[in-house]
Amino acid sequence: MDALIGLWEWLGENLIIVQILIKIVVIVAPLMLCVAYFTYAERKIIGYMQTRIGPNRVGPKGWLQPIADAVKLMFKEIILPTAANKTLFLIAPLLTLGPALAAWAVFPFQEGLVLADVNAGLLYIMALTSVGVYGVIIAGWASNSKYAFLGAMRSAAQIVSYEIAMGFALVGVLVAAGSLNLGDIVRAQQGEGGLFNWFWLPLLPLFLIYFISGVAETNRAPFDVAEGESEIVAGFHVEYSGMPFAVFFLGEYANMILISALTALMFLGGWLSPFPASWVDGVPLLGDGMHWLFLKTLIFGFFFLWLRATFPRYRYDQIMRLGWKVFIPITIVWILVIGLAVIYQMPWWFD
Amino acid sequence: MAPFKPFQDDRSQYPEKRADGTLDIDLSSGKYLKLWQGPQHPGITGNMSVELTVCGDEVVEGKTHVGYLHRGFEKLMERRTFIQCFPIVCRICVPEPDFNEYCYAAAVEELAGIKVPEKANWIRTLILEMGRINSYLMYLGGQAGAFGMGVIGQWTTYVRDLMLDRFEELTGARIYHMFIMPGGVRDGLPDGFEARMEETLQEIESTLQDVYEAMFCNAIYKKRAVGVGYIDPALLDSYGVTGPTARAAGVAKDVRRDQPYLVYPELDFEPVVATESDIYARSDVRRRDLLVSIDLIRQILVRMPKAGPVMAPLPNVLHWKIPRGETYVRGECSRGEYGYYLVTDGSGYPRRVNVRGPSYTHAMALLERFIVNVNIADVAGLMVSLHTYPPEIER
Repeated sequence: MDALIGLWEWLGENLIIVQILIKIVVIVAPLMLCVAYFTYAERKIIGYMQTRIGPNRVGPKGWLQPIADAVKLMFKEIILPTAANKTLFLIAPLLTLGPALAAWAVFPFQEGLVLADVNAGLLYIMALTSVGVYGVIIAGWASNSKYAFLGAMRSAAQIVSYEIAMGFALVGVLVAAGSLNLGDIVRAQQGEGGLFNWFWLPLLPLFLIYFISGVAETNRAPFDVAEGESEIVAGFHVEYSGMPFAVFFLGEYANMILISALTALMFLGGWLSPFPASWVDGVPLLGDGMHWLFLKTLIFGFFFLWLRATFPRYRYDQIMRLGWKVFIPITIVWILVIGLAVIYQMPWWFD
Repeated sequence: MAPFKPFQDDRSQYPEKRADGTLDIDLSSGKYLKLWQGPQHPGITGNMSVELTVCGDEVVEGKTHVGYLHRGFEKLMERRTFIQCFPIVCRICVPEPDFNEYCYAAAVEELAGIKVPEKANWIRTLILEMGRINSYLMYLGGQAGAFGMGVIGQWTTYVRDLMLDRFEELTGARIYHMFIMPGGVRDGLPDGFEARMEETLQEIESTLQDVYEAMFCNAIYKKRAVGVGYIDPALLDSYGVTGPTARAAGVAKDVRRDQPYLVYPELDFEPVVATESDIYARSDVRRRDLLVSIDLIRQILVRMPKAGPVMAPLPNVLHWKIPRGETYVRGECSRGEYGYYLVTDGSGYPRRVNVRGPSYTHAMALLERFIVNVNIADVAGLMVSLHTYPPEIER
């Protein structure tokens, strides 16, 4: 054990690149596993909501289903449409998956457990979640297909407008926490009130708008007009098959997990325990820890699936109306409210 | 809510009309896009296609194309004996095959002068109402699915499967029953059928309550369906619209009440009517009609004669010749007026069979007329709301 710790410190001093690569693998490998089993959870949960069983054939209780799906997609032929722009066609899925993974670099899992503890973390996250739309636009353009093109146009307009509502919701968090560092945002939610000290209560409208915008940002139901099945077949990825399609798929689910985790981090206190520290002093598992973050992320992940099973799809113009005429005005008003609360040091949260 | 009127604010993008009445659509201008929906498209009911010319997100012109599913039923029947036609007619409409059997059998009976026993008429009515429930359950799932709500389809498919179990018990088959024969029906009710039917009906009612809460009370479904796909009631007659689509526009057309057949005069029911004539009204009329059908089945099971023959004696069907004549038999199926026009010439084969299916008028002329000015996203919902089945368009 001491030798391992010694090796790790030696790596940090002499071969920092190798140390960072190891850290990246330690974050990305479990993340990909989570993505795989998130698809399994989706099929199971929606199956039960629809009076079905869901996958139950591959392995015990269907647990190997995601692995089987991945293997199947890997061995499938990659069909390149003859009139497609081949370079852009193959780059597009990578542009969707890349930012969804890169955003985890500044994500604090626990006190001190973060790959890059940068002070502009929130800005970095906002930048990266916006880059994902390029993958969708380029995919729709490069496919040279009418349905893909329509899907790309819808997606571009939708993501750009919800980016604004999302950004304003995060400005509220920034004002409340007084920092762009994600770790500091969580620490600002610490207090004697337990879960009542978290930001979800003073920032309730922003919390709801952030999560709903996140659903729209990831193109999930009821905002899945970019791939609306009964309207434009599969939207931007209608021409994709095999591994490029799987990469799109991974990107979508990685984005969902990212949005869930960010919501947990910024409004539900990240790794903080819902119980006041004085109550659970010394009780195992009830104190602060990474497992709380995991649990909160799971809850939001479940909301994504629940929404998909419950709601029909919005029409495209209705989505734009909701974004511009409802969400953005509410966020702007609430930023003013929060600003006043911070200035006058409203007790419990900002004193 | 006022009918949905696109291009209300800005009509500058809309194509001008030429002198001959056609639209001045220049595809090379880049303003318009040709978009084919179908024959393989998840939003289209069955194998037909719609050729849309879109401007932005609005449809400026729509053309329906059928013929992908033509199997020549009417022509086939001209070379089959009268009894051999039964396995063919039920394939004309998959979700509700019994209506074809009834209409064809009634036409044959009328020309051959066969008197159907009283109990057979009750069982026929029961079968037709069961088929209507099946068809409506499929429709509700399809309507929700066209708006991206998969859960309703799964729920209704489950209760439809229970109804198929009752069909299997009664007729021995799940989809194509071939139970209604000239002269009556093949058999009476099995033992304990009434109790099991009651259980199934209760299951359907409770699922319908869930569907009502999850779909009809859903804010997004209302947003998508209310005021969309408005059909002007003044145009109903010129387009030959019947059934729930006409009843949703405030016209209480129902063949079961207007020209009663079978035992409908003895049953107690009122046609369901709505006035909004949009997608929501059409789906709601069908949901309430389902409740009427459930009530009718309960009445039938209580008032049906317990004993008696179910089949009139037939001549040797292999050498069965029907005297020269012609007749038209109609009934109210789940989509509208369904009719069979049968001509016989005294030989052992029908001279001509013509099927009047409501899908033909609804899915072709009506759809072409009302698809204009609709958003691309609503095309599938509008098409499903007319409740058409392509096999019935191309007999």
